[in-house]
Formats: sequence, C-alpha cells, structure tokens
Amino acid sequence: MTHPADPDDPAHPAAPSVRPFLRNSGPGARYQPAPPSAPAPGPPPGEQTTSLRPFVLTSGRVDGLDPSIGLETQVSSHPGALSARLSPEQRAIVHLCGEPLSVAEISARLRMHLGVTRILVGDLRAAGHLDVHVLENDFPDPETIMRVIRGLRSIS
Amino acid sequence: MDFDPYPDSRIVGTARVPNGPQRTAPPVPVKIIVAGGFGVGKTTTVGAISEISPLTTEAEMTMEGVGVDDPGQASGKTTTTIAMDFGCVTIDQTLKLYLFGTPGQTRFAFMWDDLVRGALGALVVVDTTRIDDCYPAVDYFERAGLPFVVGVNTFNGQLGYNLDEVRWALAVREDVPIVQFDARFRGSVRDALLVVLDQALDKAMKMRSS
Repeated sequence: MTHPADPDDPAHPAAPSVRPFLRNSGPGARYQPAPPSAPAPGPPPGEQTTSLRPFVLTSGRVDGLDPSIGLETQVSSHPGALSARLSPEQRAIVHLCGEPLSVAEISARLRMHLGVTRILVGDLRAAGHLDVHVLENDFPDPETIMRVIRGLRSIS
Repeated sequence: MDFDPYPDSRIVGTARVPNGPQRTAPPVPVKIIVAGGFGVGKTTTVGAISEISPLTTEAEMTMEGVGVDDPGQASGKTTTTIAMDFGCVTIDQTLKLYLFGTPGQTRFAFMWDDLVRGALGALVVVDTTRIDDCYPAVDYFERAGLPFVVGVNTFNGQLGYNLDEVRWALAVREDVPIVQFDARFRGSVRDALLVVLDQALDKAMKMRSS
C-alpha cells in the first residue's frame, strides 16, 4: 500500500513532510519515496491531516487517554457531526467513520499518531459526534472464540 | 494498492455524507497480537492471512524526564516513534479479527498494556538464529496472563534447532505450545493462529467456570 502525495492540496505540492516510511509499508520499501505520478484519492481539499507535531493537534495533551478506546475499538460518526465546527483532523475522522472503523484503521488512513487519534476520538465522543462501541467484557466469551475458530478454519 | 478513504460516502455540495439512511451495526472486534523481534516475519505473518494489505500505524513513545535531570547529556531527542503493522480478517458481518504485529523488544513495552487489553492471545514469532529476540515478549505475556503460542518461523522450510531445543532455550511452561510454521503461507499462519485460539478458548472456559 502506498500513501502518495496528495494532489488536491496546493499547500503541499509534491512532497508533504510525512516521513517516508509512512508512505510505503512493505519490507524493503520503507525508505523509498512514493512515486510522484501515482494517482491517489486523497482527502478532499481542506480535509487532510497536517504534519503538525502531535501535541499541537491535541492542544498539548499527551495523556488522559480513555483506556476503553483500544486499537480495535469500533468508531462510527453521527450523521449530524458533519455540520459541526471541527478541526480539520476531527472532521477527517468524522468523514472516515460513516461506516464503523477501528481506531487503528483511522490512525493508519489519516497518517495520524495512534495516541493523537485516541485523544481526538475521545474528544469527539465527549462532544457527541462519534459513537465509540466499547465492549462489555474484557475477554471474549467462549462462543465468540468458537466463531473465530470456525471462521478461520474455513479459510483455505 | 491505493484505496478510496471514503468509499461509503457521497459528495453533497462541498461536504461528504455517509451513504444510506440506515446505519450499520459495528462488528465485534477481537484481536491477536503477533510479537517478535525485528525481521522475524511479523508483517509477513499478518499479511499472509489479512484480507487487506497490512496497514501501518505509529505510536509515539515519550521519554518524559529523560535528560531533564541530566543537563550534561547533549541529546535533544525526547521521543521515539515506532511503527506497528496490522491487518484483519472478517469472520462474518458481526465479528472481525484484528492482527497487530508489534515489536517485541523491552523498550517498546510501554505500549503492550494497551495492546494486550482485551486480546485473545499472542503468537510470538521466533527466528531460531536469534531466539533471544523474543524473550521480552515471552516474559511480558507470561506476566500478563495472556495465552500465547511460540511460532517458530521456518523461512526456508528448515529449522535451525528442533522444537525441544527451542522450548529448552525459552524455558516456557509445558502448556505453552511451540509450533513450527511458515509466515509466507496463509494455511500455515492460519494453523498457528488456531493454536492460539485453542489456548484462548481454554482460558475463556476456565474464566466461565470460576
């Protein structure tokens, strides 16, 4: 998977300051720049995440994470959230989560630090713009595990 | 591979809105950790079974206080960023398995608590030429009480040591399975994960009966 430069953004013409290894994820490909001609459906204008240092996006906060927001936790946005006043990063999250998406996927797709993503998701939930689907049990029950086992067995 | 970040939305004016009046109930996520040293085949393992190309997310490690009390140290570096690869397997519409490949070194242990919370179990990938790379992960999972399986990755179909020797070197309990697998092949990865799931099922049954 490549994360080429975003052609829609006039402020970052060819080489945004995202570090190179984020553009490629394959062994050996990490430090090669993305091909400049690769077409990419990047975020729409004004929606892309910035290369600001992480704590700027979180108003200086580096802790206070809600432990119930895990990497795999599913997040979905409320339909009305799009009309709210949001920062570009928060807006990008709301856009992305029209369908339920995991926190890890949000972080990867927006190229946003995991810790930053979790803080912003927590903020959006507190503001009523996102549903964070927290599981009741800490450890899955036997029936769930059996379903995973059956599902994996059917993979060939 | 490129993706449309907004496949389920349409553009209205200058805004995108999610498609459809009804909203999909989210799947229940479950996760398995794939741990091990650098270059032992974690990403290959995740990629072999995942239905998406492994995605990379990064976490930032802040080293608060490092250097603060030590003005003699001329290091300006206060944060370290690590990359973590993950993939997923959709079991059905209501259940999704996530696989997180994480560096197994002690210096990344700051994020293991988050990773392990709610995890079904872990596959510790081992390269027999560098067995000691996996010791911190084994230590951590033992302490955390997370079911885990040691998966010896046979890069070229050969083992440097037999599984008994690996068990001796790791000194893991008898009930910790040590399996041999090839991270490049889906069926092999699937079988290793099934052993992890067996361990997880044991734990879930014990938790229920107690």
